[in-house]
Amino acid sequence: MGEIVSEAEDVTVMDMEASIEHLSRGTVRHVDALLVVTEPYYRALETARRTVPLARGLGVNNIFAVANKLRSAEDERAVRDFCRHHDLEIITAIPFDQNVTQADLRGQSLIDFKPDAPLVAEVMRLAATLRERMLNHGSSADKFLSKPNC
Amino acid sequence: MKIGISGKGGSGKTTISATLARVFARQGASVLAIDGDPNPNLGMALGLKPETLEEVRSIPRGIAERKTDEDGKMRMELKYSVEEIAALHGIAAPDGVRLLVGAKVEAPGAG
Repeated sequence: MGEIVSEAEDVTVMDMEASIEHLSRGTVRHVDALLVVTEPYYRALETARRTVPLARGLGVNNIFAVANKLRSAEDERAVRDFCRHHDLEIITAIPFDQNVTQADLRGQSLIDFKPDAPLVAEVMRLAATLRERMLNHGSSADKFLSKPNC
Repeated sequence: MKIGISGKGGSGKTTISATLARVFARQGASVLAIDGDPNPNLGMALGLKPETLEEVRSIPRGIAERKTDEDGKMRMELKYSVEEIAALHGIAAPDGVRLLVGAKVEAPGAG
Protein backbone atom coordinates (compact mmCIF):
# COMPACT_ATOMS: atom_id res chain seq x y z
CA MET A 1 0.00 0.00 0.00
CA GLY A 2 2.84 2.37 0.79
CA GLU A 3 3.95 2.95 -2.76
CA ILE A 4 0.39 3.62 -3.87
CA VAL A 5 -0.01 6.37 -1.27
CA SER A 6 3.12 8.19 -2.33
CA GLU A 7 2.45 7.76 -6.04
CA ALA A 8 1.33 11.00 -7.64
CA GLU A 9 -1.76 10.71 -9.82
CA ASP A 10 -1.11 12.25 -13.19
CA VAL A 11 -4.72 12.43 -14.27
CA THR A 12 -7.95 12.51 -12.32
CA VAL A 13 -11.20 12.00 -14.21
CA MET A 14 -14.35 12.73 -12.23
CA ASP A 15 -17.72 11.58 -13.50
CA MET A 16 -19.97 14.14 -11.86
CA GLU A 17 -23.59 13.75 -10.92
CA ALA A 18 -26.19 14.65 -13.48
CA SER A 19 -27.70 17.61 -11.68
CA ILE A 20 -25.89 20.90 -11.52
CA GLU A 21 -26.22 21.39 -7.75
CA HIS A 22 -22.86 19.70 -7.21
CA LEU A 23 -21.20 22.71 -8.78
CA SER A 24 -21.75 24.71 -5.61
CA ARG A 25 -20.32 22.02 -3.39
CA GLY A 26 -16.64 22.69 -3.61
CA THR A 27 -15.28 19.99 -5.89
CA VAL A 28 -15.74 21.63 -9.25
CA ARG A 29 -13.78 24.76 -8.49
CA HIS A 30 -10.63 22.66 -8.24
CA VAL A 31 -10.80 21.05 -11.65
CA ASP A 32 -8.40 22.18 -14.34
CA ALA A 33 -10.98 21.56 -17.02
CA LEU A 34 -14.72 20.98 -16.95
CA LEU A 35 -16.19 19.04 -19.85
CA VAL A 36 -19.90 19.55 -20.35
CA VAL A 37 -21.29 16.65 -22.34
CA THR A 38 -24.25 17.68 -24.42
CA GLU A 39 -26.56 16.16 -27.01
CA PRO A 40 -28.43 17.85 -29.84
CA TYR A 41 -31.65 17.92 -27.83
CA TYR A 42 -33.26 20.86 -26.18
CA ARG A 43 -33.10 19.58 -22.62
CA ALA A 44 -29.43 18.56 -22.82
CA LEU A 45 -28.51 21.94 -24.30
CA GLU A 46 -30.60 23.63 -21.62
CA THR A 47 -28.67 21.76 -18.90
CA ALA A 48 -25.41 22.91 -20.46
CA ARG A 49 -26.71 26.46 -20.66
CA ARG A 50 -27.38 26.47 -16.90
CA THR A 51 -24.13 24.70 -15.98
CA VAL A 52 -21.69 26.97 -17.75
CA PRO A 53 -22.33 30.30 -15.97
CA LEU A 54 -22.44 28.50 -12.63
CA ALA A 55 -19.05 26.91 -13.25
CA ARG A 56 -17.63 30.19 -14.55
CA GLY A 57 -18.90 31.90 -11.40
CA LEU A 58 -16.98 29.37 -9.32
CA GLY A 59 -13.80 30.27 -11.14
CA VAL A 60 -13.50 27.30 -13.49
CA ASN A 61 -11.56 28.76 -16.39
CA ASN A 62 -11.44 25.91 -18.84
CA ILE A 63 -14.97 24.88 -19.69
CA PHE A 64 -15.49 22.92 -22.89
CA ALA A 65 -18.47 21.32 -24.51
CA VAL A 66 -18.32 17.74 -25.73
CA ALA A 67 -20.94 17.39 -28.44
CA ASN A 68 -22.12 13.79 -28.25
CA LYS A 69 -24.57 11.59 -30.19
CA LEU A 70 -24.46 13.60 -33.40
CA ARG A 71 -26.50 11.74 -36.04
CA SER A 72 -26.33 14.28 -38.85
CA ALA A 73 -24.76 17.49 -40.05
CA GLU A 74 -27.93 19.19 -38.85
CA ASP A 75 -27.35 17.84 -35.32
CA GLU A 76 -23.82 19.13 -35.35
CA ARG A 77 -24.93 22.53 -36.63
CA ALA A 78 -27.53 22.80 -33.85
CA VAL A 79 -24.93 22.18 -31.14
CA ARG A 80 -22.40 24.47 -32.82
CA ASP A 81 -24.93 27.30 -33.10
CA PHE A 82 -25.87 26.85 -29.47
CA CYS A 83 -22.26 26.83 -28.26
CA ARG A 84 -21.31 29.84 -30.35
CA HIS A 85 -24.26 31.72 -28.92
CA HIS A 86 -23.16 30.87 -25.37
CA ASP A 87 -19.46 31.48 -25.95
CA LEU A 88 -18.64 27.83 -25.31
CA GLU A 89 -15.92 26.01 -27.19
CA ILE A 90 -16.63 22.53 -28.52
CA ILE A 91 -13.51 20.52 -27.76
CA THR A 92 -14.78 17.28 -29.31
CA ALA A 93 -17.67 16.32 -31.56
CA ILE A 94 -18.64 12.66 -31.29
CA PRO A 95 -20.95 10.92 -33.75
CA PHE A 96 -23.80 8.77 -32.49
CA ASP A 97 -22.21 5.40 -31.75
CA GLN A 98 -24.43 2.35 -31.44
CA ASN A 99 -21.50 0.41 -29.97
CA VAL A 100 -22.13 2.27 -26.70
CA THR A 101 -25.53 0.59 -26.26
CA GLN A 102 -24.16 -2.75 -27.45
CA ALA A 103 -21.32 -2.65 -24.90
CA ASP A 104 -23.74 -1.59 -22.18
CA LEU A 105 -26.10 -4.49 -22.94
CA ARG A 106 -23.20 -6.89 -22.50
CA GLY A 107 -21.98 -5.20 -19.33
CA GLN A 108 -18.67 -4.42 -20.99
CA SER A 109 -16.58 -1.30 -21.30
CA LEU A 110 -16.75 0.23 -24.77
CA ILE A 111 -12.98 0.21 -25.22
CA ASP A 112 -12.90 -3.56 -24.56
CA PHE A 113 -16.03 -4.33 -26.60
CA LYS A 114 -15.00 -2.32 -29.65
CA PRO A 115 -11.54 -0.75 -29.44
CA ASP A 116 -12.01 0.96 -32.82
CA ALA A 117 -15.46 2.39 -32.03
CA PRO A 118 -15.97 5.97 -33.26
CA LEU A 119 -16.43 7.23 -29.68
CA VAL A 120 -13.11 5.68 -28.62
CA ALA A 121 -11.35 7.30 -31.58
CA GLU A 122 -12.78 10.72 -30.70
CA VAL A 123 -11.91 10.32 -27.00
CA MET A 124 -8.32 9.49 -27.99
CA ARG A 125 -8.25 12.76 -29.89
CA LEU A 126 -9.81 14.49 -26.87
CA ALA A 127 -7.09 13.11 -24.57
CA ALA A 128 -4.39 14.43 -26.89
CA THR A 129 -6.06 17.84 -27.08
CA LEU A 130 -6.43 18.05 -23.29
CA ARG A 131 -2.78 17.11 -22.76
CA GLU A 132 -1.67 19.75 -25.23
CA ARG A 133 -3.94 22.48 -23.93
CA MET A 134 -3.83 21.84 -20.19
CA LEU A 135 -0.31 20.71 -19.45
CA ASN A 136 1.04 23.96 -20.85
CA HIS A 137 -1.07 25.87 -18.37
CA GLY A 138 0.71 24.35 -15.37
CA SER A 139 -2.01 22.30 -13.79
CA SER A 140 -2.16 22.78 -10.05
CA ALA A 141 -1.40 19.60 -8.18
CA ASP A 142 -3.26 18.20 -5.20
CA LYS A 143 -6.12 20.59 -5.00
CA PHE A 144 -8.90 18.56 -6.53
CA LEU A 145 -10.46 17.92 -3.17
CA SER A 146 -9.65 19.92 -0.08
CA LYS A 147 -7.08 18.57 2.29
CA PRO A 148 -6.65 19.53 5.94
CA ASN A 149 -4.25 22.26 6.99
CA CYS A 150 -3.24 23.44 3.58
CA MET B 1 -4.51 17.32 -14.51
CA LYS B 2 -7.98 17.14 -12.97
CA ILE B 3 -10.88 16.82 -15.36
CA GLY B 4 -14.51 17.09 -14.30
CA ILE B 5 -17.16 15.67 -16.62
CA SER B 6 -20.69 16.94 -16.28
CA GLY B 7 -23.86 16.54 -18.32
CA LYS B 8 -27.41 15.33 -18.19
CA GLY B 9 -28.14 11.71 -17.30
CA GLY B 10 -28.02 9.67 -20.49
CA SER B 11 -25.80 12.19 -22.28
CA GLY B 12 -22.97 9.67 -22.39
CA LYS B 13 -20.81 11.32 -19.74
CA THR B 14 -20.07 8.04 -17.95
CA THR B 15 -18.96 6.29 -21.17
CA ILE B 16 -16.83 9.31 -22.07
CA SER B 17 -15.35 9.51 -18.53
CA ALA B 18 -14.47 5.81 -18.50
CA THR B 19 -13.02 5.82 -22.01
CA LEU B 20 -10.97 8.93 -21.28
CA ALA B 21 -9.59 7.32 -18.10
CA ARG B 22 -8.65 4.12 -19.98
CA VAL B 23 -7.07 6.07 -22.85
CA PHE B 24 -4.92 8.20 -20.52
CA ALA B 25 -3.88 5.07 -18.62
CA ARG B 26 -2.86 3.33 -21.86
CA GLN B 27 -0.72 6.35 -22.66
CA GLY B 28 1.17 5.76 -19.43
CA ALA B 29 -0.55 8.20 -17.09
CA SER B 30 -1.37 7.23 -13.56
CA VAL B 31 -5.14 7.61 -13.57
CA LEU B 32 -7.61 8.04 -10.76
CA ALA B 33 -11.26 7.80 -11.84
CA ILE B 34 -13.80 9.20 -9.39
CA ASP B 35 -17.46 8.25 -9.63
CA GLY B 36 -19.31 11.24 -8.24
CA ASP B 37 -22.71 10.13 -9.42
CA PRO B 38 -25.18 9.08 -6.72
CA ASN B 39 -26.16 6.16 -8.95
CA PRO B 40 -22.65 4.92 -9.65
CA ASN B 41 -21.93 2.97 -12.83
CA LEU B 42 -18.48 4.18 -13.77
CA GLY B 43 -17.12 0.81 -12.62
CA MET B 44 -18.95 -1.12 -15.31
CA ALA B 45 -18.07 1.46 -17.95
CA LEU B 46 -14.41 1.08 -16.97
CA GLY B 47 -14.68 -2.65 -17.54
CA LEU B 48 -14.88 -4.05 -14.03
CA LYS B 49 -16.31 -7.56 -13.81
CA PRO B 50 -19.68 -8.01 -12.08
CA GLU B 51 -18.07 -9.87 -9.16
CA THR B 52 -15.62 -6.99 -8.66
CA LEU B 53 -18.43 -4.47 -8.88
CA GLU B 54 -20.12 -6.15 -5.93
CA GLU B 55 -17.07 -5.44 -3.81
CA VAL B 56 -17.11 -1.76 -4.69
CA ARG B 57 -17.92 0.25 -1.64
CA SER B 58 -18.46 3.94 -1.36
CA ILE B 59 -16.00 5.98 0.64
CA PRO B 60 -17.11 5.83 4.29
CA ARG B 61 -18.55 9.00 5.73
CA GLY B 62 -15.96 9.16 8.50
CA ILE B 63 -13.24 10.35 6.16
CA ALA B 64 -14.98 13.65 5.48
CA GLU B 65 -15.96 16.36 7.89
CA ARG B 66 -18.26 19.35 7.71
CA LYS B 67 -16.56 22.70 7.15
CA THR B 68 -17.96 26.16 6.67
CA ASP B 69 -16.73 27.92 3.55
CA GLU B 70 -15.38 31.47 3.49
CA ASP B 71 -18.68 32.40 1.86
CA GLY B 72 -20.62 30.81 4.71
CA LYS B 73 -21.67 27.67 2.87
CA MET B 74 -21.37 24.25 4.45
CA ARG B 75 -19.32 21.72 2.58
CA MET B 76 -17.57 18.43 3.17
CA GLU B 77 -13.83 18.40 3.48
CA LEU B 78 -11.71 15.29 3.27
CA LYS B 79 -9.49 14.43 6.23
CA TYR B 80 -7.04 12.60 3.99
CA SER B 81 -5.46 13.28 0.63
CA VAL B 82 -7.13 11.86 -2.47
CA GLU B 83 -4.08 9.64 -2.93
CA GLU B 84 -4.46 8.20 0.56
CA ILE B 85 -8.15 7.58 0.00
CA ALA B 86 -7.47 6.01 -3.40
CA ALA B 87 -4.96 3.68 -1.79
CA LEU B 88 -7.34 2.66 1.00
CA HIS B 89 -10.64 2.60 -0.85
CA GLY B 90 -9.74 2.56 -4.52
CA ILE B 91 -10.50 -0.42 -6.74
CA ALA B 92 -8.11 -1.62 -9.43
CA ALA B 93 -9.70 -1.31 -12.87
CA PRO B 94 -8.29 -2.37 -16.29
CA ASP B 95 -5.18 -0.63 -17.68
CA GLY B 96 -4.16 0.31 -14.14
CA VAL B 97 -6.92 2.86 -13.57
CA ARG B 98 -7.89 3.25 -9.91
CA LEU B 99 -11.57 3.80 -9.25
CA LEU B 100 -12.95 5.71 -6.32
CA VAL B 101 -16.69 5.74 -5.73
CA GLY B 102 -17.14 9.03 -4.02
CA ALA B 103 -20.84 9.78 -4.02
CA LYS B 104 -21.18 9.23 -0.29
CA VAL B 105 -18.59 11.88 0.46
CA GLU B 106 -20.73 14.51 -1.14
CA ALA B 107 -24.09 13.21 0.01
CA PRO B 108 -24.02 14.32 3.70
CA GLY B 109 -23.50 17.94 2.70
CA ALA B 110 -26.36 17.95 0.24
CA GLY B 111 -29.25 20.37 0.51
